[in-house]
Amino acid sequence: MCLLQLWAFGFCHLLFMNTSDSEEDSYNERSALVQCESPTIPSYNQDHDMSLPQETDTKRRRPVSSGLDEPGPVERERASTPDGEEEELTLKYGAKHVIMLFIPVTLCMVVVVATIKSVSFYTEKTSQRLIYTPFEEDPNSVGQRLLNSILNTMVMISVIVVMTIILVVLYKYRCYKFIHGWLILSSLMLLFWFSFMYLGEVFKTYNVAMDYPTLVMIIWNFGVVGMICIHWKGPLRLQQAYLIVISALMALIFIKYLPEWSAWVILGAISIYDLIAVLCPKGPLRMLVETAQERNEPIFPALIYSSAMVWMVGMADSSNPDSGELHFTSCHMLKCLLVDFLTGGVKLGLGDFIFYSVLVGKAATTGGDWNTTLACFVAILIGLCLTLLLLAIFKKALPALPISITFGLVFYFSTDNLVRPFMDSLAAHQYYI
Amino acid sequence: MNLERMPNEEKLSLCRRYYLGGFAFLPFLWLVNVLWFFKEAFLKPAYTEQPQIKSYIKKSAMGLILWVAVLTTWITIFQHFRARWGEVGDYLSFTIPLGTA
Repeated sequence: MCLLQLWAFGFCHLLFMNTSDSEEDSYNERSALVQCESPTIPSYNQDHDMSLPQETDTKRRRPVSSGLDEPGPVERERASTPDGEEEELTLKYGAKHVIMLFIPVTLCMVVVVATIKSVSFYTEKTSQRLIYTPFEEDPNSVGQRLLNSILNTMVMISVIVVMTIILVVLYKYRCYKFIHGWLILSSLMLLFWFSFMYLGEVFKTYNVAMDYPTLVMIIWNFGVVGMICIHWKGPLRLQQAYLIVISALMALIFIKYLPEWSAWVILGAISIYDLIAVLCPKGPLRMLVETAQERNEPIFPALIYSSAMVWMVGMADSSNPDSGELHFTSCHMLKCLLVDFLTGGVKLGLGDFIFYSVLVGKAATTGGDWNTTLACFVAILIGLCLTLLLLAIFKKALPALPISITFGLVFYFSTDNLVRPFMDSLAAHQYYI
Repeated sequence: MNLERMPNEEKLSLCRRYYLGGFAFLPFLWLVNVLWFFKEAFLKPAYTEQPQIKSYIKKSAMGLILWVAVLTTWITIFQHFRARWGEVGDYLSFTIPLGTA
């Protein structure tokens, strides 16, 4: 039951471009706000409307999708600047966000790979499986194994679809308390139970004696401060760090408990599902986003990674957005181009982190050396770049999983089967290229 | 949360809540409080709520130092005497290192 929650928790995510301020820009914002007062008033309504979807982006449980919800700044650019400058500004806008996303994704993957390489617990195969992958993989028969992994994948995907639909229904009928409670329960489980397991394994690996009182203090502090930062108010950096840690923990659980071949098939299937769910008009995620936009409300505490904290996310508990704050936010968004316009924060859902890390982690497990791992890492980052590029072009919700996972899978299998034997025989024959 | 954009009363209220929360055996919360509000309390030009924030930061810092001292003492004692305590040591241990006495 709890794993079900965790699964849903980890799975749903959303990537939106968001013109929230980054902390470094705060000084510039203040001066920019003063400068921008008059020019922005006429366009207030336009930007106001466009700002609202962004507030509702606080929903974190959507399967990966990315979108640019604030076309306002970009459009203003076009109106006021010559083309060359406009392109440059758009690119600058995009490039900074790419970097802002690279860092947390990289950190998450580094944590996962470091753990996999050092703590053997997560690579030991157990007979325990998640209930979502009930079919055992028999290593003897290839056909049987393939069939079982496909069946496992179908079970898993149907679980995800059901969970997403339940979530959409709950949201449509405004059962916010239920969703809220669900999220809190999931994060409680992650922050306390999984980190306890993780810590135990790390101590065993490094042969360190640990006593219960100290351990209880550590887990208690870690968990409670995590809950506070994520669900209430806390420093931005700490919140980002906690989200990265949670994603890493979740990815490690998946790496441990998903059977070998099922994991790969599941990764592929999830990307396809993501594509369908976000882009098709009848997709549950799209419906969810549209419902949220219609209602113009922020939903519940965001477990989305936000590169720049929008304080709206912090107040996501209120179902009636304060109009004063909306205005403030739109003013932020209407910042002048001349001053650093990069008020955009990029939001990436936790599920993205998790699946990217699962891919790289599995590459680290099964791949013999670092080539495969690095290849997958590079592939995912390239995919992320491309997705953000598409985001800037299309300016709507886009799934962030498909491109990266496809590249990752392609790179993994080709490196494992082509590059590695090649490198090995080169090394054996002492050829250096 | 961007402290820059919060009104001063809210900052004070947040600082106070973090301070009070730390009494629930949460020295980490006190640490976060100190680090987060340090600039506000000591490096910003004075405003009405600042003295109160300063006092909360100082009290949090004191509590933090106290906890660090207690924990360090306990950990040192435990690591040193664990083997000698025999059964009690094992009972208190979460992980027991292999290969040592």
